[in-house]
Amino acid sequence: MLLELKNVSLSLKRDGKYVKILDEISLQVNKGETVGIVGESGCGKSMTALSIMRLLPEKAKLEGGILLEKEEISSYSKRKLEKIRGDKMAMIFQDPLTSLNPLHTVGRQIEETLILHTDLNKEQRKKRVIELLNEVGLPRADEIASDYPHQLSGGMRQRIMIAVAMACNPSLLICDEPTTALDVTVQAQILDLMNHLKDVNEMGIIMITHDLGVVAEVCDRVIVMYAGKIVEQAEIKELFINPKHPYTKGLLDSIPKLAMKKTKLGSIPGMVPSPDKMPKGCRFYERCSSAMEICREKTPPMNLVGEEHLAACWLFEEKEGEANASSRNKGLEATLHH
Amino acid sequence: MDALRYTLKRILLMIPILIGISMLTFFISNTIPGDPARLAAGPYADAKVIEELQEKMGLNDPVYIQYFRYMKSLLQGDLGNSNYSHQPVMEDIKQYFPATLELTFFSMFITILIGIPLGVISASKKDKIADQFARVLALIGVAMPAFWLGIILLLFFYLKLGVLPGSGRLDTGLAPPETITGMYTIDAILTGNWTVFTSAVIHLILPGITQAAVTIGMITRMTRSSMLEVLRSDYIRTAFAKGGSERRVLYGHALRNGMMPIMTLLGMTFGHSLGGSVLVESVFSWPGLGKYAVNAITYLDFPAVMAVTILIAVLFIIVNLVIDILYQVVDPRLNYE
Ligand SMILES: Nc1ncnc2c1ncn2[C@@H]1O[C@H](COP(=O)(O)OP(=O)(O)OP(=O)(O)O)[C@@H](O)[C@H]1O
Ligand SMILES: [Mg+2]
Repeated sequence: MLLELKNVSLSLKRDGKYVKILDEISLQVNKGETVGIVGESGCGKSMTALSIMRLLPEKAKLEGGILLEKEEISSYSKRKLEKIRGDKMAMIFQDPLTSLNPLHTVGRQIEETLILHTDLNKEQRKKRVIELLNEVGLPRADEIASDYPHQLSGGMRQRIMIAVAMACNPSLLICDEPTTALDVTVQAQILDLMNHLKDVNEMGIIMITHDLGVVAEVCDRVIVMYAGKIVEQAEIKELFINPKHPYTKGLLDSIPKLAMKKTKLGSIPGMVPSPDKMPKGCRFYERCSSAMEICREKTPPMNLVGEEHLAACWLFEEKEGEANASSRNKGLEATLHH
Repeated sequence: MDALRYTLKRILLMIPILIGISMLTFFISNTIPGDPARLAAGPYADAKVIEELQEKMGLNDPVYIQYFRYMKSLLQGDLGNSNYSHQPVMEDIKQYFPATLELTFFSMFITILIGIPLGVISASKKDKIADQFARVLALIGVAMPAFWLGIILLLFFYLKLGVLPGSGRLDTGLAPPETITGMYTIDAILTGNWTVFTSAVIHLILPGITQAAVTIGMITRMTRSSMLEVLRSDYIRTAFAKGGSERRVLYGHALRNGMMPIMTLLGMTFGHSLGGSVLVESVFSWPGLGKYAVNAITYLDFPAVMAVTILIAVLFIIVNLVIDILYQVVDPRLNYE
């Protein structure tokens, strides 16, 4: 196993008091696997990613365990984190224009990762930069290396971001909506490139997206988040064919509309509860068409609803009754370890 | 090449601006009551002498003739004779301006050395103790009258402790170094005269700090706000995601991006101090351009007023040009337009 999150909770300070943004997130990513995280805007996808990278806002309270290659990194000091960021784990952001420093050449920005994490000398670094630019599919690499971000197209910039992230062959790559800011054809190229790089480098990828089309294209497994909690996770085919959670069903139902009018996820009626006013029962209760009495009172546990398929919904309460959370997690782990 | 063309274009553009400024100054000074001839002749001269002098100084010609005459000699490097010091204004300026230039360089050096790092620390430790401290310090610097600080420093370091000199540019008894730039510290280095160098630096300390106090406050505040804005940018997060340390991100990525408004303010204050700071120069008896200008105005020393005005205008334009060129050096997105 490459990455494991164990009951990760995150609280951020808002207007002077702490609100819980992530609630007991548990997930695993294996080597060579792409895990998608989907959900409506504000459900905590980016915060999950930033918790792993520990690039959180000030005064964030992070609880739970984060294991990267069996190392507990959630207790790492600043120094130790700087060592693994960019080296073992790397991240790509949504808008490649604003994510690149406008005043440095792109070559220099790729080189910086190498300066920080390798002993290569100047010449070797130059060579590696050219190599990386070729790897991410940019022709005339030596010319591009001396260009500034504003001189490149959106797709090229995102390829640069990928090169920056790939420079030290990270074992984990986190992508936060890497294609949202790009147009459709470029989007497909970037996704192809990421698929290719994953196969070549055997890394694990977390793919955060609004777009179920992207999920279908690159992911092996999908995690559905709602209001700071994971509500369902399953293999890609299983999830598309056999969604269990009413929220996931709602998301999938919005796909046909996607084809006609480009709407984002969340054409489900109603509003996501705000983090400081979470209901005590199921967070989807207000919007759920299959809501029951128990849903308002008690938070649904994570239930095994199929092979490697988990859903947090009272509709699928385990027959054997109140199994505790850790044993359920063990069950999942066992199923994930082939 | 582009940079060169741009610079040349900007220098050519200086010409109409300077003509405009010289005209304005000339005609305004001419409408001010007061007769330079009478002043030059002294209080006991009789009317005939004054009349002769008026004729000799060309004061009876129409103003535009006087203006052209002035501009013609200006282009030949002749700024006329001072009615007060009775020597060519050019000589006066050669004597007074380097003193101001030296003081300005020194105080700007202190300003940059303290103001920018203080602002960066203040922004990176927002709302923490270091930030509060820096902000209070900056506020005091901005709010405190320079002459008052000057007097306090003078009282303390000169009168009470006696560790620093309180006036002039050199210890009495020391001869100024051979004039190369007119700035004593530089000339002393160039001629290898270390006694003079030390004395010159020591004399710069109190007036330099006094002049820097205000600008440090301004630069700190500007650096802080500019950095706070930059630190919210996505590329700062990218720099951290690569594994950059806080120091590396602050000084390697953020500062250069936040430099534009800081440079603008630095340029303004630099240009401003080059005109001479009357208050600081008075408190520390610093023989600089500010003092010279006040004298010139007090004695209606018309050629001197003209010369100082034009000099300050030229300096401002040059500083602006340098800042504009620096913008392009800092930011590749601005291409010499
Ligand atoms: N700096 C911050 N301080 C306090 N709360 C924050 C901060 N940044 C985000 N949040 C809150 O955290 C929650 C989760 O935000 P997050 O950015 O993870 O959502 P997301 O799922 O990535 O949404 P999107 O799809 O729009 O990117 C939101 O309710 C948001 O308001
Ligand atoms: Mg997000």
